[in-house]
Amino acid sequence: MPSEKAAGEISENGTSSQSSTFIKQEDLASGKWLKLSNVYYADPTGRQRVWEVTSRTTKVAGDLPDAVVIIPILRRNLHYDCTILVKQFRPAFCKYTIEFPAGLLDPNETVETCAKRELKEETGYTGVVKHSTPASALDGGMSNSTAQFLTVQIDGDLPENQNPEQKSDEGEFIEVLTVPMDELLSKLNEYSTEGMVVDSRLYMYALAMEHTKGMVQPKTPK
Amino acid sequence: MATAIEDYGLREACGVFGCIANGPWPTLLDVPQIISLGLVGLQHRGQESAGIVTSQGQKGSKFVQKKGGGLISSIFSEEDISKLKGNLGIGHTRYSTFGGSDVSNIQPFVVETLHGLIAVAHNGELVNSGPLKQKLLRHGVGLSTGSDSELIMQLLTQMPHCGEPNGANWVGRIRHMMEQTPTSYSLAIMHQGSIFAVRDPLGNRPLCIGKLLPLAACTGNVSLQADDSCEGWVVSSESCSFGAIGARLYRDVMPGEIVELSREGVKSHCVVARPEASLPALCIFEYVYFARPDSILEGQMVYEVRKRCGKQLAIEAPAEVDIVSTVPESATPAAIAYACALGIPYGEVLCKNRYVGRTFIQPSSRLRKLGVAMKFGVLSENILNKRVLIVDDSIVRGNTMRPIIQMLKNAGAKEVHVRIASPPIKHPCYMGINIPTREELVANTVSIQDMAQYFGADSLHYLSVEGLVKAVQSGIKQDHTIGHCVACLTGNYPVNLDW
Repeated sequence: MPSEKAAGEISENGTSSQSSTFIKQEDLASGKWLKLSNVYYADPTGRQRVWEVTSRTTKVAGDLPDAVVIIPILRRNLHYDCTILVKQFRPAFCKYTIEFPAGLLDPNETVETCAKRELKEETGYTGVVKHSTPASALDGGMSNSTAQFLTVQIDGDLPENQNPEQKSDEGEFIEVLTVPMDELLSKLNEYSTEGMVVDSRLYMYALAMEHTKGMVQPKTPK
Repeated sequence: MATAIEDYGLREACGVFGCIANGPWPTLLDVPQIISLGLVGLQHRGQESAGIVTSQGQKGSKFVQKKGGGLISSIFSEEDISKLKGNLGIGHTRYSTFGGSDVSNIQPFVVETLHGLIAVAHNGELVNSGPLKQKLLRHGVGLSTGSDSELIMQLLTQMPHCGEPNGANWVGRIRHMMEQTPTSYSLAIMHQGSIFAVRDPLGNRPLCIGKLLPLAACTGNVSLQADDSCEGWVVSSESCSFGAIGARLYRDVMPGEIVELSREGVKSHCVVARPEASLPALCIFEYVYFARPDSILEGQMVYEVRKRCGKQLAIEAPAEVDIVSTVPESATPAAIAYACALGIPYGEVLCKNRYVGRTFIQPSSRLRKLGVAMKFGVLSENILNKRVLIVDDSIVRGNTMRPIIQMLKNAGAKEVHVRIASPPIKHPCYMGINIPTREELVANTVSIQDMAQYFGADSLHYLSVEGLVKAVQSGIKQDHTIGHCVACLTGNYPVNLDW
């Protein structure tokens, strides 16, 4: 069923009426979780073009993200700071991937609640949300799915975090990996060499830490 | 007065510390940070210089070292600590010595042996360092530090008499070293994936083992105190270091014992016997002065022993005064107990400048006379027209006691009485307390009856040797042989000194 959206606004600093605008959307196919559509739009010259777009059927209304990704920082007295990663089989590759813990936002759930819930289910840890990014594009060339990245600090000295137990859903088989922050990039390279696929955002996070090493010491959020 | 020992320079009382992580290696435990905090806890034993050596613990692993002069907080920066990342390590903190703090003289010492690198941290002084040094030099060993700790290290590079048919026999090598020198040494030796904690057969200097627990266990969660929550093991000269690192005192290393700390846990290899079944000889001055009051030695808290000394002093030498006080700070427990035993109010009369401390170096003699006034101020309101009694932990040369008494009298004290919570020091020590020569010891030049007048005090009494020994030993459980070195008090040395 084609759906229509409002035309794009012209920005206040006076970009020309020649910016691209939405025309209409035609859904082609829909599965249980994903939907394939043709999006018709006018390019800056006014010519009509089409783009194949996938989207999640679970998208919550408004500007809420599809997914919440957690950047866990495990801090323990007299221990090196670590991040918590998850390893799981991804049918898209038929390989094991290394990612930050993450999950889709449930309806009527805040982003913070989702982050804490997913972290607890996938890794067993209880943490405190310290920072969150705005919704950002996960793969803008082919999908409209977005995610918010929440930095969650885990106090590894609390009794509830002593022997963390996962609570996996049916069909979820997740292995938890604890990696020291200052070894993240080299560890990811190791995983890659071993035949696993490293999530790109995770890799960028590790790479950024490496890039800034010579400048200012990266500080884990307080 | 304890300050006299410090102010005139020469003294050897160092601190040793070691840490090994449990669980999977590479460990997530910040081992160098733990060693650094452990050394800060032992800072009272030495502030002149310190060093830390760490390793990944595998065969052929490099040793990473950082050494420097001054306090721990100024030697090890965050960057140094991160460079020292490792699975195990040892550290050392040193008191003021002769001849400056050349980095090569700072422990732990590292040397390569037939079986790889070892690092050694030593607290104590070898009684036979002279002849032992000659023996090694004749053997063809080259020395480079002038320190007797280097002699221990060189002895460990030697093949033990029993040979090494099955590869490295470190217990054999340590035993061989112990046969060459009877006392005094408490050691932390690091080799590959182990730390050996060794105490000489007399147990002259202290050494204990602690168990690292998760913070959650330390904050009272009883269910987490089981063995499987052990995060690692530490060895330290004193247990007072343990609180800051979340460790709990496990036990003392026994005199003569060789203990190995590794990922398998704590293993006692053997206890080297004392010659002719003589008694152990823990330096009694650890109780009187050196150890921190919250340390536990031989199962008892040092603070409690000092209290008992004060109580015993009240029995042996009571007084009729208006106020009892202390020469800050080590005599405080004894002074409070003395006051309590006699029902006399305890109050403060001297204020100590904590920045003029154990590293105070005496400049010219003119300034030396002002030395005491630099270190203490009088709380004159508390002593005006009163009969004052001050308790101090010891007198060595007596150069500081006289000015203190004068200061109190000048400030208006009607009478000044002195009680010393230890017996007079009359004999030199060869085990590490660099006591001045016989002639400089005031107890050898002034008779006990003339002491009060010599110092300008209205009365002056010492604790008796029997009283001190009773105060120390009455708190120790009798399940093993007990003995303390009182050589500097009685002239009876625990070892034959004819070398």
